[in-house]
Amino acid sequence: MNANLRNLTDVDRLIHEPARLLIATILSGVVSADFVFLQRETGLTKGNLSAHLSKLEEAGYVKIEKTFKGKLPLTVCKLTAIGQKALAKYRQQLQDFMNKTS
Amino acid sequence: MSMEPDFREIQQRVRRYWFKDGLGEMVVGGLFILLAAYVAGHQWLPVDSKAPLYLDGGLVLILLLGIFLTTKLINIFKQHITYPRTGYVEYYPTKKEKFLAKIFIFASFAGFVILIMGVGEWVGTFRWLPGFLGALIALALMAIRPRVVELNRFYRLAGVALLAGIGASLLNWLPQYSVSLFFALFGCAMLVTGALTLRKYLRENPLPTTETADER
Repeated sequence: MNANLRNLTDVDRLIHEPARLLIATILSGVVSADFVFLQRETGLTKGNLSAHLSKLEEAGYVKIEKTFKGKLPLTVCKLTAIGQKALAKYRQQLQDFMNKTS
Repeated sequence: MSMEPDFREIQQRVRRYWFKDGLGEMVVGGLFILLAAYVAGHQWLPVDSKAPLYLDGGLVLILLLGIFLTTKLINIFKQHITYPRTGYVEYYPTKKEKFLAKIFIFASFAGFVILIMGVGEWVGTFRWLPGFLGALIALALMAIRPRVVELNRFYRLAGVALLAGIGASLLNWLPQYSVSLFFALFGCAMLVTGALTLRKYLRENPLPTTETADER
């Protein structure tokens, strides 16, 4: 197998999934964002977004804090340092692959 | 081929969210109207009273409001209007260099206006001051464009700044009045644009009920 392609198979599958990549990219540009904002920006259903966030949280990529704002529940999500690093590495791997193959 | 523009586009969209409700323009528009009142007030108030002194104190307040409290004020409005509707986002705080640059720009702008206002006879020769200020503001608005693409109303505001500046200059009034008129016109334009944006935002994003809110 070509070395470039082999490098591509090494990418972090957790980040590579489009919905999770979108969530991580959105969170990478801000300190934190809540569930409502993420749902609007990603276009995912509540259940779907919740499942993806849980996976990112389990991996330590995202930190989730649940609070209340008045009567409304507020779920605030932050990309952790590990998450930032994983996203940066993924972007670099993808960029390297693009540079070598184009 | 590069993936970077896609990542950048997503991050730009998140940054653009700050401008989605028009609240920022309304607050800054209010500041310009206060500035207009300050400049005009200096001309109207009797020189031998203490009123101009109080007015100068007011300018200091406007500047402090502009430098330190604008973002806080906008955030207070957003907490009640925007975040319950379309979600909460906490942006990274302004970097120290950007903060210092902000102070420098505000101070230079105000200093420049005060200097021009105070330089007795020369004032009469600088009737193009509103035009100059309009061009300056238009340039500043155009500079925002690359960071927040797809915000065409900033182009329109830049056009209004330029036209209001030229228009006020052509009136051939005392610069104190024409500058005041320019600030008032531009402030009103920002208020109107902000209010229209807010109205559109509120129509498109009704307040969610407890059932439809964040239910993670």
